[in-house]
Amino acid sequence: MVRSALRTALGAGFMAAMMASASAQVLEIGVDNGPTGLDPHLITAFPSFMVVNGNIYEGLTAIDKDLKTVPGLAESWTVSPDGKTYTFKLRQGVKFHDGSAMEAEDVVATVKRLLSKDIASPLASRLSAVDSANAVDATTVELKLKEPSAALLSSLATIAIVPSAMETNKDALQKAPVGTGPYKFQEWQPNGFILLTKNEAYWDKGMPKLAGLKFNIVPESATRQVGLSNGQYALLPNIDAATALQLKGKPNVKLSETMDLAYTLIGMNTSKPPFDNPKVREAVNYAINRQEIVDAALFGAGVPGGPLSPALKSWALNVNQFACYKPDPAKAQALLKEAGVATPVAVSMKVLPRQDIKDIAQVVQEQLNKAGFKVELVNQEQGQFIQDWRNSNFDMFASINAGQPDPDDYFYRTFRTGGSTNVFKYSDAEIDGLLDQARTLADQAARKTAYDKVQQKLACSGPIAHLTYGTLFSAMNSKLQGFDTMPNRSLLMLRNASY
Amino acid sequence: MNRVLIARLIDLVIVLFGVSVIVFLMIRMIPGDAVAIMLGANTEITPERMAELNRRVGLDRPIVEQYLLWAGNALRGDFGTSLWTGRPVSSEILLHLWPTLELTFLALLIGAVLAVPVGCLMAQTRGGAADVAMRVTAIAGLTIPSFWLGIVLILLLSSWAPGFASLGYVPFSEDPLGNLQRMMLPAIALALPILANLSRLVRSAMLDALGQDYVRTARAKGLAERKVVYKHALRNALIPFLTSVGIMTGYLLGGAIVVEQVFAIPGLGRLILGAIAERNYPLIQATILVVTAGFVFVNFLVDFLYIVVDPRVRA
Repeated sequence: MVRSALRTALGAGFMAAMMASASAQVLEIGVDNGPTGLDPHLITAFPSFMVVNGNIYEGLTAIDKDLKTVPGLAESWTVSPDGKTYTFKLRQGVKFHDGSAMEAEDVVATVKRLLSKDIASPLASRLSAVDSANAVDATTVELKLKEPSAALLSSLATIAIVPSAMETNKDALQKAPVGTGPYKFQEWQPNGFILLTKNEAYWDKGMPKLAGLKFNIVPESATRQVGLSNGQYALLPNIDAATALQLKGKPNVKLSETMDLAYTLIGMNTSKPPFDNPKVREAVNYAINRQEIVDAALFGAGVPGGPLSPALKSWALNVNQFACYKPDPAKAQALLKEAGVATPVAVSMKVLPRQDIKDIAQVVQEQLNKAGFKVELVNQEQGQFIQDWRNSNFDMFASINAGQPDPDDYFYRTFRTGGSTNVFKYSDAEIDGLLDQARTLADQAARKTAYDKVQQKLACSGPIAHLTYGTLFSAMNSKLQGFDTMPNRSLLMLRNASY
Repeated sequence: MNRVLIARLIDLVIVLFGVSVIVFLMIRMIPGDAVAIMLGANTEITPERMAELNRRVGLDRPIVEQYLLWAGNALRGDFGTSLWTGRPVSSEILLHLWPTLELTFLALLIGAVLAVPVGCLMAQTRGGAADVAMRVTAIAGLTIPSFWLGIVLILLLSSWAPGFASLGYVPFSEDPLGNLQRMMLPAIALALPILANLSRLVRSAMLDALGQDYVRTARAKGLAERKVVYKHALRNALIPFLTSVGIMTGYLLGGAIVVEQVFAIPGLGRLILGAIAERNYPLIQATILVVTAGFVFVNFLVDFLYIVVDPRVRA
């Protein structure tokens, strides 16, 4: 009796849920973490990036599925022969979500906002080459650079254009974003969900096809999996191999995969012994067996990788061009002997608190210990790890970094002497010269030659032992059409998706 | 009565002040500050920008000044704004308070209310098959971790009634049925260990009481066993039960972090955890104060109930 009453009640709830979903067509997305804010010029974390990039906001350019830079809010652009003046022709008829038209002055205000001290945007360095921005007319913007910058166009894809009224406003966009994208912000329940609804006035007619996006914040992986299998969520974007393997073959679930731009790495502090000695760093690379890491820690879903992701097909060298990528513990021992360090070399390795990184760190520890090192793993809380990273307070660390579509974005700040994320204190005159030269070259082939040399040198004796590039998955309901996982984790393709 | 109340209020003020100082200092002693964590490990930023961000959220001032500023505003009822979102802390707490209150209420309703008859039954059938079975179940209930139980419940329900929305949270005011269907499983997952714990407690307190002289007297004068148990013995057995319920309520009000994680419920537990992870100082401080006040209040309520239940305490 009670049981049948309960069943009836459940049935009624179920019916109500079905009817609601049939009329609304809001795509229910399950994500593990909520954003810390929505101001596109303040956020750097993936959970925030995923929500705003391409959905709420757009840049002058965009990065497509193949990591090519394509037109965004700028319809076209020209570059002056000296590479120092970029002229952008803006798309016409683009409106912000508040109804105002997007014009050249908004782009100029956006650039100023990003570079302003008051806003203190962590993205400011992406526009460090920009000297000034001017509105030529309502639909033409001119960017003057201090020096040529080959990475500018791809960087611009991550610079969201905001209304000019926001130029000096510090707080408004964190709470209520105003962009030009296919979806507009509706509601944010911290730790609950973020709801975006269709932008009826979107410039790309016929887009978006969905009535809205609801990002449900579901911290527990098992819960997200059940939610996808029972139809409560229709998409779990950017999940790891372990989760994807469990969902593989479930009824009504399909997977989309791509090579991840993000890479796992071992960082080494080159400002103090033993890693101040390039031979010791080379020994680390010979000691590491990357295929074993892929098999043991990534469930086979990944590839060994060098300084650039294999997803960057036009840049990355094949890893079998790096001598040290052929695991050779004996050679590692010999290098340590040559370096004149006392073996076993005792070092500590700080570990980013993520399950995949912890797994990888254990495999690497084992491998290094077999080749003359004595590695102590130090598990850290996130905040502590970040602090030590920023203060160069480590011998070694194991971590994962997001990759960038242009080599200059990554290389210059990481390996150039004094680079802003060169926490390894790495300094090499040859690398500095190549990096300085390559960023001013307009010719693709010439840049490629320079970056080939950089990769060759960094792969074996650089401050980072690049380990693996994982396969990135998204799991979705089989009814969801037109969505693919992108290497940079953008959910830009949701504008084309239908459900 | 009034004197008790006033003494309690003074206690509350002292506790809250102590907690506010401790929380303020401890959260700043954890390595890694709010700005560094927001930026993450591998963000390109110059030290000058870092300093500007610190200034932006007011973390560049001396710590004593920060505390006095915060305490002064808090006394006037202004708990400040969440570091990055700029939303008022009070509204964030309120938003997360409802799910927690509802969960606490439902879990206690199921757990504590069932514990009394179950505990009495165990005591009455002491040593019998029913007692043994219930005790084994109770021990299982105590030892099964709630995150595991929660996931198993979700899996069972999803195979039994696929399509039944059991995850997340919708406010009762918006969709009463949807609210209850989502809260059912987490409430059960929370209630089970409570039921197990409390029924064992009731059992042993009852056994104690049933061995007393007045129970023998009651039986001797020919009272029905049910009356002996529920009217005479139970009342005495209730004191430890109330104490325990009080403590559990206090903990539940602090947010049932594990169950909230598993069922994706935006309650106080996740608010605190998230705030600590991102070093959202104003949010942590205010939330912990609210939770502490809740704990103290519940204890006060329990003290009051002692007086109601046990006339001897009144003297």
